[in-house]
Amino acid sequence: MRGHTHPISSLVREANGIFFNMGFTFAEGPLIESEWYNFDSLNVPKDHPARDMQDTFFIKDEKDMVLRTHTSPVQVRYMEEQMKKGIAPPYRVIVPGKVFRNEATDMTHEAEFFQLEGLVVAEDTSLAQMKWTINQFLEKLFDDIEVETRFRPSFFPFVEPGNEVDMRLIGEKAPEKLRDKWVEMMGAGMVHPNVLKSAGVDSTKYRGFAFGMGLDRLAILRWGIDDIRLMHSGDLRFINQF
Amino acid sequence: MKISHEWLQRYFEKELPDAQALADALTFHAFEIESIENDILDVKVTANRGHDCLCHRGIAKELSAILRLPMKSDPLRAVTNLEASPLGSVGVSVDDSNLCPRYIAGYIKGVAVGPSPEWLRKHLESIGQKSINNVVDATNFVMFSIGQPLHAFDVGKLEQKDGTYAIGVRKARTGEQVHALDGIKYELANSMLVITDENGKEPIGIAGVKGGMPASIMTATKDIIVESANFDGVSVRKTAQQLKLRTDASSRFEQVISAELAAYGMHAVTDLILEIAGGELVGFADAYPQVQQQKSVSVEATQINVILGSQLSDADIADALTRLDLPFTMMADAFVVEPPFERLDLLIPEDIAEEVGRIIGYDKIQPAALAPLQKKPEVNKNFYASERMREEYVAQGYSEVFTSVFADTGERVVANKVDGVRPYLRTTLIDGLKDALERNDRNKDLLGLPEVRLFEIGIVWKGGKEMTVLGTADKAGVREEPLPAHKAHAYEALPLSHAQRFHSFSRYPFITRDIALWVSQGTIEQDVLQVIRSNAGELLVRSEKFDEFKKGERTSFAFRLVFQSFDRTLTDLDANERMESISNALKAKGFEIR
Repeated sequence: MRGHTHPISSLVREANGIFFNMGFTFAEGPLIESEWYNFDSLNVPKDHPARDMQDTFFIKDEKDMVLRTHTSPVQVRYMEEQMKKGIAPPYRVIVPGKVFRNEATDMTHEAEFFQLEGLVVAEDTSLAQMKWTINQFLEKLFDDIEVETRFRPSFFPFVEPGNEVDMRLIGEKAPEKLRDKWVEMMGAGMVHPNVLKSAGVDSTKYRGFAFGMGLDRLAILRWGIDDIRLMHSGDLRFINQF
Repeated sequence: MKISHEWLQRYFEKELPDAQALADALTFHAFEIESIENDILDVKVTANRGHDCLCHRGIAKELSAILRLPMKSDPLRAVTNLEASPLGSVGVSVDDSNLCPRYIAGYIKGVAVGPSPEWLRKHLESIGQKSINNVVDATNFVMFSIGQPLHAFDVGKLEQKDGTYAIGVRKARTGEQVHALDGIKYELANSMLVITDENGKEPIGIAGVKGGMPASIMTATKDIIVESANFDGVSVRKTAQQLKLRTDASSRFEQVISAELAAYGMHAVTDLILEIAGGELVGFADAYPQVQQQKSVSVEATQINVILGSQLSDADIADALTRLDLPFTMMADAFVVEPPFERLDLLIPEDIAEEVGRIIGYDKIQPAALAPLQKKPEVNKNFYASERMREEYVAQGYSEVFTSVFADTGERVVANKVDGVRPYLRTTLIDGLKDALERNDRNKDLLGLPEVRLFEIGIVWKGGKEMTVLGTADKAGVREEPLPAHKAHAYEALPLSHAQRFHSFSRYPFITRDIALWVSQGTIEQDVLQVIRSNAGELLVRSEKFDEFKKGERTSFAFRLVFQSFDRTLTDLDANERMESISNALKAKGFEIR
């Protein structure tokens, strides 16, 4: 009898398959991260209210070290690494990985969860391409169910313009509980020139777009999971359903 | 920020659409709406617009641009002119203009403090504010209208020296206390800024955060000094954090607001006080050494179009900028935008692209395909290795778990964990896996597993390193090893989950019962199960054959039945009852129960 793969691993496997075919490389970075990569390099200066948007775990007795609050630091790490190797854009990467928020846990909040970040950098990158890429991913992920998206203005310091992306499933094949309902799916936007500068990429020549979504949230939506804490429960009554 | 439909209407001649329509307009062109209740919109103003949108005027301005509705009058576009205070009545001295770029004191004599008029009380109460008295309400009303925090002091409680009153702004002395309006005595650090009565040398407020009791407005108050000031955002933010005293004023200052706004705030509040509390305006003292410089952002239409992937004409862009009331001039092909003083967020061409994009609407931007890349994406070695091990173990009946990275012991520790428990970062997967193994082992029957087998691929922090390890758990024990490396050439196509929907499971304990029976040759297991299931009731959650043997001509089947309820703990009685009806049904079908 075969065992079961964790639903998050299954989603990462599926997402990587979709993005790999679109030219994206799987990138990763450390979970204990410096404040520079987690905040400053991403255009989130010290003492800026934008840092309040994320409740951060600080590592004791290690100056300026945090548990990363998002997968975005890997944007800068990846670009920096490529530039050091002398490889200029175009870049296309996805970063699936664990992130942390210092908050009380309940059915919809977890201190540790998973994100999937995407980054595209090239000379001709545009918000129109970002829309296409996100649509492609969701369409392929939901396979034969029809997906609609809408892009709203939002703000994240590391993008400009910034967007929030909503999604809904329509048509007969959509699960009844989700049919026609708009749900917030991810944050996205055009990479702020300061982020490119942080990574040593010429921001006058290249532009980028980035997006980030919660994988736990995606799993919850897709399978109708009722408690986010099941993800780290190690409980086979949960895992063996996948 | 709570925004009232009726309050917004003050800025428009024409009747506004209903609250839902305003919410939709804001949602798709400016800000998310958290809720609408009784014509009150809870608007989630983003951190880049705290400069100008934490007030009704800011939201009205957005709606004016989005809905193409002209504003009746924009208080921030009126001309402000602060006449100097008559010599010798009020002086203002600021120690450090970096921490307090502007301080205006307005002196009004002979006010009658009393209840606010009905309209004012209703407006404040509609957004959840308490009405205090006409003078205090006027300061709050102006803050929620145009975003400038204000404060009023009772002149009668200040000391006069040589016929003048003196307001000071300086750093607090270590250990200095301020008895604030909330009744609490705050002990200040010398990084914090206070407002003082310079003659009395007493602090009368915590700058940008909270006013003090010593000069609070009472019914008997006759003469007042109104403060309309600008304080450094970082300094106010730190003070509010350290004192755990976040106020409507501090949350505006920490977003950084324009020092220009102080003059508009002062005008609006003195006008309102004179209207509703009477009195006579004596004059203003304005300490504003470094006037805010006009900035400009230059951007061409082609630049906006390449960022957005749009095909907007100069006219489209000009229209969007005009709707937003962002003045511009054309220099060759470039729009040179001169943002109004309150729009401190507009600094680079991308900012202008966003303004244009959101006003026109992101739905108007047609998706454009990513061109195929010349180079093939790389195969990630770690991910490849994880996937390989995942498949290897799943094929052997192991299921994958994720356990928490937080632990009771470890080498590295989190300094500020909210819940305080398990602050260490794990050095091993073994503890988590052991625990998961034990917990799942108890559910073996429910899961229908002869043996629980688990694995986890996870990060541990050991020997100063962050590394990925593979842990496995089964009846032979729990062990871990560094994730074995593999040469990676291409990803393999591995199976994906076929699950459709998750079914929530009962958190109550279950009861297992076995039943064995003799069956005649040729009896099919499914037929027996059918009888069991249709006579067990809804508490039967699992049933399967676990044993079969032959003795002569007869065959014995043994079934394991698991009973569980979604809403209570089952008793033996519950199980006995079900077992009885099952065996009766089986006997009636001619089976002999062993």
